[in-house]
Amino acid sequence: MRTAAELNYREKGIISDIDSSHPSSKRIMEHGFTPGQTIELINKSTFNDPIAISIRGTLIAIRKSEADCIKLK
Amino acid sequence: MRTDTDLLIPVITLVGPPNSGKTTLFNLLSGKNYKTVNYPGSTVEYYTSHFLSKYNIKADLLDSPGIVSVVPESLDEKVSVDSLYSHPKLGVPDLLISTIDSCQLSRHLLLPKQLISSGFNVIIVLTMTDILAKRGLKVSESTISNALNCDVVIVNGRSKFGVEKLIEVINKNLIRAKESDKKNITHYNSLENKRDLVETFKEIEEIVNDAYEPIKTTEIINLNSANSELSILQDNHINNEFSPDKLTLKIDSVLLHRFWGFLIFLIVMGLTFTSIFWLAKPLMNLVDKLFVSLNTLVIENFEPGWFTFLVSDGIISGTGSVLVFVPQILILFMILGLLEDSGYLARGAMLIDKPLSKIGLNGRSFVPMLSGFACAIPAIIAARTIPNRRERLLTIFIIPLMTCSARLPVFALLIAYLIPQEKPWVGGIILGGIYLFSVLISILVAAMINKFRKRIFNAEDSSSFILELPAYRIPKLSSVISHTYNSSKQYIFRAGPIILGFSLILWFLTFFPNINPEVLTEGFSTEQIQNLERADRLEHSYASDLGKFIQPFMTPIGMDWRIGVSLISAFAAREVFVSSLALTFKVTSEDDKQQSTLLNSLRNAKIEATGEKLFSVATSIGLIVFFIFALQCLSTVAVSRKETGGWKIPILQVFIFTSLAYFMTFITVNGLRFFGIQ
Repeated sequence: MRTAAELNYREKGIISDIDSSHPSSKRIMEHGFTPGQTIELINKSTFNDPIAISIRGTLIAIRKSEADCIKLK
Repeated sequence: MRTDTDLLIPVITLVGPPNSGKTTLFNLLSGKNYKTVNYPGSTVEYYTSHFLSKYNIKADLLDSPGIVSVVPESLDEKVSVDSLYSHPKLGVPDLLISTIDSCQLSRHLLLPKQLISSGFNVIIVLTMTDILAKRGLKVSESTISNALNCDVVIVNGRSKFGVEKLIEVINKNLIRAKESDKKNITHYNSLENKRDLVETFKEIEEIVNDAYEPIKTTEIINLNSANSELSILQDNHINNEFSPDKLTLKIDSVLLHRFWGFLIFLIVMGLTFTSIFWLAKPLMNLVDKLFVSLNTLVIENFEPGWFTFLVSDGIISGTGSVLVFVPQILILFMILGLLEDSGYLARGAMLIDKPLSKIGLNGRSFVPMLSGFACAIPAIIAARTIPNRRERLLTIFIIPLMTCSARLPVFALLIAYLIPQEKPWVGGIILGGIYLFSVLISILVAAMINKFRKRIFNAEDSSSFILELPAYRIPKLSSVISHTYNSSKQYIFRAGPIILGFSLILWFLTFFPNINPEVLTEGFSTEQIQNLERADRLEHSYASDLGKFIQPFMTPIGMDWRIGVSLISAFAAREVFVSSLALTFKVTSEDDKQQSTLLNSLRNAKIEATGEKLFSVATSIGLIVFFIFALQCLSTVAVSRKETGGWKIPILQVFIFTSLAYFMTFITVNGLRFFGIQ
């Protein structure tokens, strides 16, 4: 299964699940990353990490290690 | 604690996620320009104020730190959430006003929903409806109001539209709040598991779907930008999945470009620093001149006696050494404020996160570290924005290594001493080199301290970097000014008294016990006699006793007791070093026939025991090295203690940085001498 961290530049995906074993999972969900939402990878930082994801009409910068717990359909 | 009469005054707290317009509303209601930052810190400082008198509401108004949810993640977050539920001084708030960005309803409604479930009286304020209108949408207040069972008001922070309605609603809610029982308020706990959070968001999405309405075409024509927006309306069926601001995406494709992004970032930072020096220099000279002439005025017009010298050398010079840095601090915070308000600083934090994470820091450490180049005190306070405790403590730990503005006069003096006068540009290069060197050193120190993090910080929570990148906008001048004002105030009121106090102690040590020295007066002018008196007074002062006591430590690094005294006095604040040198050397130099400049007296100063030149190239470079490392600022120690919640970290900072300074100076001076540079 793919995760948000594996999205390509300007690729969209639909969230299927959030891995709740990850220590940041609750924080990620509180920022609006919940199952069913469409996300899009907008930018990658110079060092490829963190990445900027569009969610619910806003941009969130998030580390790849944390984006990894956002599972996609 | 509040007295009984205080308890009658209701408490209203503003809550809201970061970037939801909370502070703008606070400023609008209180008229006091206080800016808060999002800080889940160990010390929670809520800004408190009152309503402007024209609103005729008698209540305490609190501005709380920006939070996304009331379920704390870490111990530090728990403190800020706890004091939202019950403020340590003001108690449980009677009313909460929750600001919501109307373009981000589906994210921002989480917080008020949790607060209402906790049993609070909540008023929801919808902000940024003008931006929403540009997208061809509006929000139905009544839909949200009915769904959440609370009052909803639209307020435009810039045009002040809706404020009167809000005041009306506040009054209505305050009457209701009087009758309700605050004991019913309980901490919000049900979100502990994932399913609850998902459920809450589903409920919110249902509300949001009903709440957005398209603006009718006739209404759109009233908007100036009607034509360009119509096309958006047509393909935008109402749902909660907006795409982010189009212009922002365009700008980001450049500013967050994988190659150009970082280059632009470096250029922006470079420009920021060079502009501090260029812009601040004339102002700093002005402040300096003002205090020098004040000083002369006092000395010339009053009888020479201990009191006159207390006023002139103690109080006036001391105040001057506090205020001379205000221009630099103002300008750096002004630029930081502009960058922050425009939305760029969040991008900067994102770009620098990866390299910083390698040495145990966080992208969020970036802004506090940057502020450290102006003054460590507001910088350490700004570190509250870092949610991870270990990363926050590490950031605070290395902030004193940033070359703060107080070190600048020391470097300026020593560089001016070292370089030939006809080549001033060499000085600029050396100064740039000092800054780069200090950045490299702080990276090294951070990496080393990070190795011992378990022992030093006693905290090992998981590192995280999730940061909203707000839409770009033209900075609002009033909020930039208030941010600048508050950061500078932190410097003046926290560092100021300590610097001034230490200057007074220093003055005392150099003036007493030999108040009325007896000197030969024959054939000397009044001015020369005064200088001779000063010299004699200093030579037999407490300060010289102290200096001679530390002489054994100074000899190995090629210095003598006079520099030692100045170094000790620099613990008040580094810039005191220069005035202390001036006091010590101007008067003890042999060149007392005429008023010699400080530089000349430094050139002529000799080590008393050997007669060698005191300020050789080696010792001058050694002094620069000492100032790069040493933590000589009592105010920083005090703030570090407060922000880290104990003495452990400040004591380690003083010990490590000062011994490192001594060690590195020893190596530099003796190394240079070894290679034949005196």
